[in-house]
Amino acid sequence: MLKVLIPTIMLFPTIWLTSPKWLWTTTTAHSLLIALISLTWLKWTSETGWTSLNTYMATDPLSTPLLVLTCWLLPLMILASQNHINPEPISRQRLYITLLASLQTFLIMAFGATEIIMFYIMFEATLIPTLIIITRWGNQTERLNAGTYFLFYTLAGSLPLLVALLLLQQSTGTLSMLVLQYSQPLQLNSWGHMIWWAGCLIAFLVKMPLYGVHLWLPKAHVEAPVAGSMVLAAVLLKLGGYGMMRMMIMLDPLSKELAYPFIILALWGIIMTGSICLRQTDLKSLIAYSSVSHMGLVAGGILIQTPWGFSGAIILMIAHGLVSSALFCLANTAYERTHSRTMILARGLQVIFPLTAVWWFIANLANLALPPLPNLMGELMIITTLFNWSPWTILLTGLGTLITAGYSLYMFLMSQRGPTPNHITGLQPFHTREHLLMALHLVPVLLLVTKPELMWGWCY
Amino acid sequence: MADYKAASLATRPKTLDPAEYFNLSPEYRRAEEKRAALRAQLKRQYLQQLNNPHRKELIEDPALTRWTYARTNNNYFRPTAKTSLIGGLFGVLPLFVLYVVFKSDRDKRDAKIKAGTYERPYKLST
Repeated sequence: MLKVLIPTIMLFPTIWLTSPKWLWTTTTAHSLLIALISLTWLKWTSETGWTSLNTYMATDPLSTPLLVLTCWLLPLMILASQNHINPEPISRQRLYITLLASLQTFLIMAFGATEIIMFYIMFEATLIPTLIIITRWGNQTERLNAGTYFLFYTLAGSLPLLVALLLLQQSTGTLSMLVLQYSQPLQLNSWGHMIWWAGCLIAFLVKMPLYGVHLWLPKAHVEAPVAGSMVLAAVLLKLGGYGMMRMMIMLDPLSKELAYPFIILALWGIIMTGSICLRQTDLKSLIAYSSVSHMGLVAGGILIQTPWGFSGAIILMIAHGLVSSALFCLANTAYERTHSRTMILARGLQVIFPLTAVWWFIANLANLALPPLPNLMGELMIITTLFNWSPWTILLTGLGTLITAGYSLYMFLMSQRGPTPNHITGLQPFHTREHLLMALHLVPVLLLVTKPELMWGWCY
Repeated sequence: MADYKAASLATRPKTLDPAEYFNLSPEYRRAEEKRAALRAQLKRQYLQQLNNPHRKELIEDPALTRWTYARTNNNYFRPTAKTSLIGGLFGVLPLFVLYVVFKSDRDKRDAKIKAGTYERPYKLST
């Protein structure tokens, strides 16, 4: 753990002490090295359970894929931000990369935590750099509204979690996940216990987001600059999923009865947010709502609490993280050229940017869960386990898959196909940096087809 | 010159052929001439921007800006009887319907499992 954490903390001196000419090169190279070191976590020394050298930070098959995803994303975020931050003065550029690096540190500590209270503190800590990135570097006036929604939705959900964790500490004497996984099932039979159950989960459901409390997500994703959108879609949503998976272990047997409203909200949310996607004019808003749709499937899979559900949830989280981040990068390339997120403005791009059309194609195919990509594998596992839970869910999940294919195709056809309008033929061609960014996003997705065991969690 | 085609959905500008206007009032004719002059100015501005060889950015279309603003910042929603009915029908009722469906299905299965009569129809995994 320290072999990644110390280089990440040393990223701060790197940012502030390199000369301005070498700032972006050095930080990208440094973060890429951290990402490569993090790949060593994938070698599990113990068959099941935790790999750790101390009792405070450990990795296990659930947190390792998410940790590798987090570390992989930092160089990609720095690559993506290079263009739009360049005009600013040097200290502000350094500040921006510092915020990204601090987000990285908090996320590594969150995913690697064994004490749930440390996970909670890091969960809250990630809000601050993200808020600063959205409200300071966003491009429209709505960014202030977006920051407010983001902050207060997440805080309102997570304050009950703090109370619930303190109560848990009082009753069991420990909050270490290493210990709690072996504890006796708790006697949960009163209204107070039900409220405690809800308090444990609501924070993560808001973060995922669940359909009823998802309103912060489209605002935050649309108004954030590209690095903010990338980290939000790829990793911060997965914090919610990861937290839910950790807490579910202790929450039986109440979950059998109390999970129904949330499963129903998640499943209905897939269809509702998918349908909203079909009516969007704003490209980033479409990708944001598609994130809500996919996360609804993940939430449903986790709340079912079966091995297939958990495996499917992890696979879909990793695959969705990479693909959603790739789509936001593509949307940003269109935004940097036209300074508008309107879909019908930047249409017919295949004729002028043919190689980028390939990236759009692969990213959209991955989004609509094309076999053999891991997106499909995760979705299929969750759909199967939901079918096992109750056969009626196949109506909702099947319709959801259909609508997902519909809006992914809509996004692709609207942006790439059709006659190229006259007024955009003068746009700048694509930089090598942007092609590299897309390749670094999509090649891991293709590689994960060959070794999905890395993502299966405990059920490998 | 870039190829300029008239927009297929726009109304065609009226000509100023006096023969078409002999039965109309002079005020109307003057208003039509002013409108034609404005249209010609706008067309000239657009064509100048379109054919400028040093242009690197987009030509701004104010109609598109207005349209996106209206579509995204929609303060046009008003809760009326019809919209509340639609909202309740698609947003609230399905949640309760689904709860009833899933709960009854799961309770039936639970009763069968407790009685020992549940046979698994599919072998899903080892």
